[in-house]
Amino acid sequence: MEAIIGIILSALLSQNFILVKFYGICPFMGVSKKIDTAVGMGMAVTFVMALASAACYLINLLLVMLGLEYMQTVAFILVIAALVQVVEMFLKKFVPALYKALGVFLPLITTNCAVLGVVLVNVQAGYNFLLSVVNGAAGGLGFTLAIVLFASVRERVDKTDCPECFKGFPIALIAAGLLALAFMGFSGLKIF
Amino acid sequence: MDFKKQFKEGLLTKNPVLVQLLGMCSTLAITTSLFNGIGMGLAVTAILICSNVLISALRNFIPSQIRIAAYITIIAGFVTIVDLALQAFIPALSASLGVFIPLIVVNCIVLGRAEAFASKNTVAASAVDGLCQGIGYTCALIIVCVIRELLGKGTFGGGILNGGEGIRLIPAQFPAMQMVMPVGGFLVLGFVIAGSQKLMKHLEMKNKKKEAAK
Amino acid sequence: MKTESSAAYIARLAITLLLITAVVAAALAAVNSVTAPKIQAINEQKTQTAIEAVLPGGGEEIAFTDDTGLVSTVYKGQSGYAVEVTPSGFNGTVTMMVGVDNAGKVLGISVVNHTETAGLGAEAASQGAAGTAFRSQFTGMSGSVSVTKDGGQVDALTGATITSRAVCTGVNAALNAVAKLG
Repeated sequence: MEAIIGIILSALLSQNFILVKFYGICPFMGVSKKIDTAVGMGMAVTFVMALASAACYLINLLLVMLGLEYMQTVAFILVIAALVQVVEMFLKKFVPALYKALGVFLPLITTNCAVLGVVLVNVQAGYNFLLSVVNGAAGGLGFTLAIVLFASVRERVDKTDCPECFKGFPIALIAAGLLALAFMGFSGLKIF
Repeated sequence: MDFKKQFKEGLLTKNPVLVQLLGMCSTLAITTSLFNGIGMGLAVTAILICSNVLISALRNFIPSQIRIAAYITIIAGFVTIVDLALQAFIPALSASLGVFIPLIVVNCIVLGRAEAFASKNTVAASAVDGLCQGIGYTCALIIVCVIRELLGKGTFGGGILNGGEGIRLIPAQFPAMQMVMPVGGFLVLGFVIAGSQKLMKHLEMKNKKKEAAK
Repeated sequence: MKTESSAAYIARLAITLLLITAVVAAALAAVNSVTAPKIQAINEQKTQTAIEAVLPGGGEEIAFTDDTGLVSTVYKGQSGYAVEVTPSGFNGTVTMMVGVDNAGKVLGISVVNHTETAGLGAEAASQGAAGTAFRSQFTGMSGSVSVTKDGGQVDALTGATITSRAVCTGVNAALNAVAKLG
């Protein structure tokens, strides 16, 4: 239990996937112009990360059994790509409302390095099945937290009057830097 | 095929990091010493050239429905080869870059060039494109590395020069450690991109003036 | 659209993808067969160097039953033990070697493998001044160690408290293991 709470806390705050570990920066910068799209992206990523953690844990067992550890990266990325496709088809057919909300974000998730990142970290850290899934889901929630916070900052930042060459991306990066500075306050957070 | 134009695009006007804003994860994460920047840049350049060449060679063979899956498989293959080779031959670099080497698979630059360039152009042009984009990426990384390392650790050339310590330019008690931490990554990249936009504007104006003078 | 859903077309897609994956897998197998022995040799070399760095004269592996999940291997030498421990650091497991003399004092530590942040936690393993100073603090310590933030006597690496704590956890595990061996 302690291990689970520890993983959740660190994935959400002290080792936030985006602001501390730099996984998934592309969607973080790309899909954070509005709060509602940020929420949608965050939910989709969380869902896929938890699923991918589970699926890749099993795949990795198989690879280790066959002595094919060097195929990990290739196998994982294919599993993730396939998973994203399956999730997309499943949602389209059975949960059209959710598909409408998340649909546009799903294809982008394959190349979200937070997903591949969490899977590789799970394997390196030697987490068991449960801890892998928890780490995936918590990492996704950490991603959601960061992207939603950042979207609300950015909605205001985009309206400000800043020097011409800072408009758009550079000022957003600097705002993200300040958000990362705030998250540094969580470093070393530990309740046990 | 216009080598000069492609080179200028990769380095400046269509620089993958500074203009296309691709491959942000690695640009922010590993740019804490010159050694990391050069190593990562060269690794990505090698992978870009290889994957561009192979994908361009296979472009008429891969059906378009499964092209993304096929590209990713090919890229993942090259990334793993580079990963294994670094572990075997340059273990120091492999240890220093860690999980960000396998993560080159999802570096948008590689997939982006495969989709935008290699799938539509000849093998030779794709190879040149891979080289130019790779050099552009490496240069951007090096700029960010040098600034972050100088501000954060007060040294230049960490990991390579002076027995790995780097040449100390600022006395040890002054550097702001935050600059090699995540915060510094965002801030420095923000300023570097702003600077490059300013420079680009300046060059554009100059060109316009020249043309007007003609 | 008719051709796109025909069985033959789908079969072609599947076969193309399968072919590509097979070729990639074969290429990787070939590369792996070249690099695997090298990587293994490097890792073994690393372990040997790590043992000798913390335990003068090196040592031989001995049997040890571990109930903490932190100790992986114990090597016994003339002057004491070298204990390989695997505490969790910032990004993953930190594999390190801790030398402990027969009196239960730390002879020295070295980091064998880690995935800590470059420039911060990774300093724990570096040969630079910061890393060397950090590791040398442990020499001569006994009992229980912790970082100053937690009321201990070890100065943490700048910006890498979690890594520093992991190293302390590892050292404690090694000290306990040696105490258990008597």
